[in-house]
Amino acid sequence: MSGRKDREERREERLRAEEEAAGGDRRRRLLQVASAAVFLTAAVVLVLIVVNANKSSGGDASSIQHVDTVESLLHGIPQRGLTLGEPGAKVTLVEFGDLKCPVCKAFSEEVIPPVIESKVRDGSAKIEFRNFTIIDAESTPAGAAAIAAGKQGRGWQFIEIFYRNQGNETAHYVTGEFLMAVAKAAGVADIARWNRERKSTRILAEVAKTTEEAEGLGFEGTPSFAVSGPAGEGLEALGTVEAGALEAAIDHAAG
Amino acid sequence: MRGVATFLATLGVAVSTYIAIADSGGGSPVCLGGSHGCETVANSSYSHLLGVNIAVFGIFGYLILFAAALSRGDGARLGGFAVSLVGFGYSVYLTYLELFQIEAVCQWCVASAIVMTGLFAVNAIRMVGYAGKPA
Repeated sequence: MSGRKDREERREERLRAEEEAAGGDRRRRLLQVASAAVFLTAAVVLVLIVVNANKSSGGDASSIQHVDTVESLLHGIPQRGLTLGEPGAKVTLVEFGDLKCPVCKAFSEEVIPPVIESKVRDGSAKIEFRNFTIIDAESTPAGAAAIAAGKQGRGWQFIEIFYRNQGNETAHYVTGEFLMAVAKAAGVADIARWNRERKSTRILAEVAKTTEEAEGLGFEGTPSFAVSGPAGEGLEALGTVEAGALEAAIDHAAG
Repeated sequence: MRGVATFLATLGVAVSTYIAIADSGGGSPVCLGGSHGCETVANSSYSHLLGVNIAVFGIFGYLILFAAALSRGDGARLGGFAVSLVGFGYSVYLTYLELFQIEAVCQWCVASAIVMTGLFAVNAIRMVGYAGKPA
């Protein structure tokens, strides 16, 4: 009896040991799979980050972004040429800007939207964009392309989308391809006409003329602002202003 | 551990469902304190994957994690760990995008990233501590 009991005990012990060994093997395999998955995931995340970091930080014709943001900013506001707002608005705010200028981009994204919402949308003022080309030779074709887009009622979409996809200040990204990508994203309907007009002598001369006008007003940097309204006498130079000062200048010019 | 994972997964479903609903009407989630970060992130090209808002993928991920939290055994441990690992990795990538590419922070995305980090921690403990042991 005792021999049989011993055998059973030894058998149970062996089965227990085998079960523990199998559980240990399974655990080892699972942890190996988990470790491999962690390394794989870390590698994939790292690759994604490196790929994104190396992507052009703007000026990329194949990846025009923020179109919806611009559309919602300008939605429902009339525009003519490069003037945004009701034609009959009493006050005109003039922005002398360079599409390649990074400070203008910052203004376009942070300072101008509140002005549009609080002063332009309700018809108190209109904003006119005039080219003041100071960065480099690419500033002129960029500005001319904006004027040509304005001829088709999409000037402000062009300006705002350009700013939001602007490349580095010193980079040469203002190619025909980039300008066309911006124009298409801006909703310019007749691209062939826009392409012709942006290279026309008349429009290129207009860019040069507004640049001279800005210099005549004593401006030295972009963006520079000027305002005109019933309380003032003609175009009053404001220069480059702090956030919030444009609204105050509009109120002052309105009288 | 399973109780904590269930709670976090429920929270994750709630957050991602809110983001998906806010986006479905053409709008964006509302950030607290008047910040425009949520709007900026929602309007960025990174908010959609193959034309679908990434919050929708988030809902499915959290639902799988919810099911894994309610289940026992190595299958559930491995499944929960794998899904939370992918979710955590993607959250790291999205946080990088917010900070360095979009240059705006969406509070709801941050909330989801924190929940997913918690779920990854819980599922990793569940995996390392209990894998191979009886259910």
